[in-house]
Amino acid sequence: MSFKTFAAISVGSFELTMKIFEFSGKNTIREIDCLSQRLDLGSETYATGTLSKEKIDDLCRTLLDFKEVMKTYKVGAFRAYGTSALRETKNTLIVLDQIAQRTGIEVKILSNSEQRFLDYKSVASKGESFRKIIEEKTAIVDISNGSIQLSLFDNDALMSTQNLRLGVLRLQEMLARLNASRDQMESLVDELAGAQLATYKKLYLKDREIQNIIIMDDYISPWAIRRAGNAADKSTIELEDFDALMELLHSSGTMGAAKALGVAEEKVPLVMISAVLTRRIAKVMGAKKVWAPGVTLCDGMAYEYAEEIKMFRGEHDFERDIIACAGGISKRYMGSRKRAETLEYLATTIFDSMKKVHGMGNRERLYLQIAALLHDCGKYVSLVDIGETSYDIIMASEIIGLSHAEREIVASVVRYNHSDFIYYGYNESRGTDFSGKESYLTIAKLTAILRLANSLDRSHKQKLRGMKANLTDGELRLMIDTQEDITLEKGFFDTSSEFFKEVFSVVPVLKTKKIF
Amino acid sequence: MAEKTNIVLKDSKYFENRELSWILFDHRILGEARDKTNPLFERLKFLSITASNLDEFFMVRVASIKDMVNAGYTKKDIAGMTPKAQLTAISKAIHELVELQYSTWGRQLNPQLLKDGLHVVAHHEDLDKEEGAFVDRYFQENVYPVLTPMAVDSSRPFPLIRNKTLNIGAMVRKKKKNSELEFVTVQVPSVLNRIVELPPKAGEKKRVILLEEIIERNISKLFLNYSIVCAHPFRIMRNADLTIEEDEAEDLLKEIEKQIKKRQWGECIRLEVEQGMDPHLLAILKKELSIEDGYLYEIDGPLDLTVLMKLYGLEGFDDFKAPKHEPKPVPELPAGCHIFEQIRKGDVLMQHPYQTFEPVVEFIRQAAVDPKVLAIKQTLYRVSGNSPIIAALAQAAENGKQVTVLVELKARFDEENNIVWARKLEKAGCHVIYGLLGLKTHSKITLVVRREENGIQRYVHLGTGNYNDATAKLYTDIGLLTCSETVGEDATAVFNMLSGYSEPLFWNKLTLAPLWLKDRFLYLIEREKQYAMEGRKARIIAKMNSLCDPDIIVALYEASAAGVKIDLIVRGICCLRVGIPGVSENITVRSIVGNFLEHARIFYFENDEHPEVYCSSADWMPRNLERRVEILFPIDRQELKDELKHVLDVQLADTVKACVLKPDGTYEKVDGRGKKAVLAQDVFCKEAAKKVKVAKNTGESRTFTPKMAPSN
Repeated sequence: MSFKTFAAISVGSFELTMKIFEFSGKNTIREIDCLSQRLDLGSETYATGTLSKEKIDDLCRTLLDFKEVMKTYKVGAFRAYGTSALRETKNTLIVLDQIAQRTGIEVKILSNSEQRFLDYKSVASKGESFRKIIEEKTAIVDISNGSIQLSLFDNDALMSTQNLRLGVLRLQEMLARLNASRDQMESLVDELAGAQLATYKKLYLKDREIQNIIIMDDYISPWAIRRAGNAADKSTIELEDFDALMELLHSSGTMGAAKALGVAEEKVPLVMISAVLTRRIAKVMGAKKVWAPGVTLCDGMAYEYAEEIKMFRGEHDFERDIIACAGGISKRYMGSRKRAETLEYLATTIFDSMKKVHGMGNRERLYLQIAALLHDCGKYVSLVDIGETSYDIIMASEIIGLSHAEREIVASVVRYNHSDFIYYGYNESRGTDFSGKESYLTIAKLTAILRLANSLDRSHKQKLRGMKANLTDGELRLMIDTQEDITLEKGFFDTSSEFFKEVFSVVPVLKTKKIF
Repeated sequence: MAEKTNIVLKDSKYFENRELSWILFDHRILGEARDKTNPLFERLKFLSITASNLDEFFMVRVASIKDMVNAGYTKKDIAGMTPKAQLTAISKAIHELVELQYSTWGRQLNPQLLKDGLHVVAHHEDLDKEEGAFVDRYFQENVYPVLTPMAVDSSRPFPLIRNKTLNIGAMVRKKKKNSELEFVTVQVPSVLNRIVELPPKAGEKKRVILLEEIIERNISKLFLNYSIVCAHPFRIMRNADLTIEEDEAEDLLKEIEKQIKKRQWGECIRLEVEQGMDPHLLAILKKELSIEDGYLYEIDGPLDLTVLMKLYGLEGFDDFKAPKHEPKPVPELPAGCHIFEQIRKGDVLMQHPYQTFEPVVEFIRQAAVDPKVLAIKQTLYRVSGNSPIIAALAQAAENGKQVTVLVELKARFDEENNIVWARKLEKAGCHVIYGLLGLKTHSKITLVVRREENGIQRYVHLGTGNYNDATAKLYTDIGLLTCSETVGEDATAVFNMLSGYSEPLFWNKLTLAPLWLKDRFLYLIEREKQYAMEGRKARIIAKMNSLCDPDIIVALYEASAAGVKIDLIVRGICCLRVGIPGVSENITVRSIVGNFLEHARIFYFENDEHPEVYCSSADWMPRNLERRVEILFPIDRQELKDELKHVLDVQLADTVKACVLKPDGTYEKVDGRGKKAVLAQDVFCKEAAKKVKVAKNTGESRTFTPKMAPSN
């Protein structure tokens, strides 16, 4: 039986962790080692925006040490991801280069949505227990040090996801600034979080009742897991348990609480904040039970990597979640679902028939789908400036699973669907600095496809549903099976096909199947 | 019931002072030296052990209590004694002990040696002319060149008398008229054998004299222009407890080297002199070494009885020694077997020294050359000179394995030794961790990571004794080899923690000190108490070296009061008292002192008919539970549990070497009348031999096993 080993390194804000995993042919992921070390990068970068030499030295030393440990397992591949502390460093690139030069480890910075997506994958790696839970209305509450992410599920699919600046450490800092005593902490956290949670409820939750909450954090989860005797599927916390936990935190000193909970003393206040927060969220959502599977970013990284090298196939369809998430945004800005679906259908049909020419893969296809879904969200703000407003809306919304750069691709495609395409190197004043050559080309290609598809449904009447596409002799033949009048479409088709020709050197031809 | 409420278990009257309890332990060893049923030379060995034990006790325990007194510390110990009171009591007890040591030597052993053909010439004055010429020649040729005589006068200060060395002090006078008395001293060189053989006389097998006698006889040759007024041997003991300022010590290695040198300068806490020493000479020594009366020992016999170990080593007296013990093979791990394959068949329990330590060495040796092995991690506390384990680890590193070794530099009196090994390993390419800040790593654990067809597989050795192939022939210890996944995970976590990483979320099987072990023991004892109160089956049998942790003792008292039957097998210090009404009536304590040093720590908990058996590197002492890294590991396989329960049962049934603690705090040999004589250590020897026979008869090892080329 073949197996592979993989090391996942997460450079967190307060901890540096490496987990070693083993993937076997049996579709299993086994954690074989876990090393973590406290390394407080966060307080420095949050405060000054830079990392001191000492911290970088510490970081490099531990990373080198990790490399030695990797050797003890003959690790085949590894990945290193950095989260908010590195993300919020001003000279990120310089720091990353230094780390790479000194350790040979390239640390990739995760955007919030990528990080949350991996977190979410790590929960899904719990397989059966996860699947069962999200059949009901479920919220994943991903509590980190800087912010928390609330994602809602219904019937096995993601409904919405939202980031709130209520991270555990952020709250602790606020409390420290307020000089809060320990007894005040609970009510202050409740107040601080309460306002934002009320807004959240109004906007996203409405009167939906959530049955289950899944939490991910570094404070409550370890306690819950230990309590359950290390059985992740049994680590549920009832609301009453929170009351007992609060009682314990109040009645015993920091040292006693640390001992009783089995955590380090400095973590005790954070456990308290995390507990108050979780309880508050559970109450707002009306959930009775909280499940803490005790997974971490590293687990998500393993899941992601194992999927990529085809050593693991999860049950859950994450692409559907990304699309569902985009659908949710479209709905919020009153996009037409039918129109969006037609456009998606037309665009992907063209995309699929053009594979040989454009050379793009599944990921780009996903961008196209999302761009089609969000193609007109800007009209909620302005019917004139749809391109620009759509771009702004997409950039301001969070699409779980897409990195910042990917989101920018989608937003640009939507923008150029309406506005003039801006050529690379032609006009740099208008926000093209983000895109390297590769994303620029992706944007151009996807824009060409989306424009063509868009022209085919100009009347928004979904006249061309049964379109077939066929690429022969430098011609893209689009066969349409319709009885309706398509004069309008034909007219727009010709104009938008210019850009298509320019990008692909392929001439799109519209043919109607006559059924006389 | 009503009276129970009045009992405060922490009351100091329920505890024994640990130092006095230790002295009782040395008495029990002395008892073996006095036991006429033991072979004569074994008795010499026991007497020698009492002496070396006492030396260590002075350097460490007496020294630290003296430090407390000097610092004006008056807090009472668990037995309610202030440091000062302890010193007084200790001094009295040790003087009695020393008296008994020398009466054992002078009245029992020395006369018997003479009878059996070994003549130890006590004084050089007893030599005849011929012998005198012999030793004088010996002195000229061998001794004189290495001596450094030192005089004290106005221009030369009192010299440094080194810790634990034997010296000869003398009063001399210049040969000129009316010269003053002067003090001179010379160290008896430790590089020379202290026992010098003389040509035997008729009716003797061997005739020997001690080196210091030869020097004394020839001392005038060292101080040529002086006349010798008197010359007597003396010996001192210094405060040798290392106080290492770890926070300030940038390099622990260097700091320890520095401290070892400093040990020579510690405060003098014992002065031993020959009985009848010239009062003037004695006065000078006492003054210069600042010795108070209680710390002076006037000895009737040779100073430093550890010399008897050398006497034991003399050839030609095998009839007076116990037959040499040969550890038996472990049937599950026959010589030449593929050790990892054998472990895969099931956990292997080893009982040293009845069974050989060789498989443990072999475990590391095979790991060093096995192409599938990726990494070896081990903690080393005390290793033997020329340790094959060190050699195997170095080889593994040279073979490209990842080798991590935690060398505990702070292992007392072994510091120098350990530094040498540590450097050697580093040179070979091992990753060496020099212990942990503020903690001693006392746990004995080895982890071998192997990459097998089915993935990463971990093999673990856990033991109660050090990775020392030499002491493994003398100390009784338990070792476990396992490839259990849960233990493997824990072992990995142990080494991660030792490397400075965070603790794991969860421990599967192992419990570690200083963080969790004490609570775990308290929980296990408390659980028995609960069962007893519910009328269910409860019982504790625990075997260890020392018991002096007050929390554990109180827990045991509580359990006993609740009706748990508790049998303790404690070799050395025991601060618990037995037979106190309402407190410890259900507790028995026995101590076994035999040819092998009892060293294993085994814990049995009845757990309402679901017995749990654990082994550990830790004693029930605060230092083990609070200031050391220790491991408690469960024995899960039923057969192995039964085996260990049997070990405990046999020890509880011992009628020959066991002493039982009495309510008055004294120990008494088990009353063997009307019982079949059981000598536990002998029983285990025989059982180990029987096991090998059974394994042979089952034919398991009857076939030859050709060695295959290692598969890659």
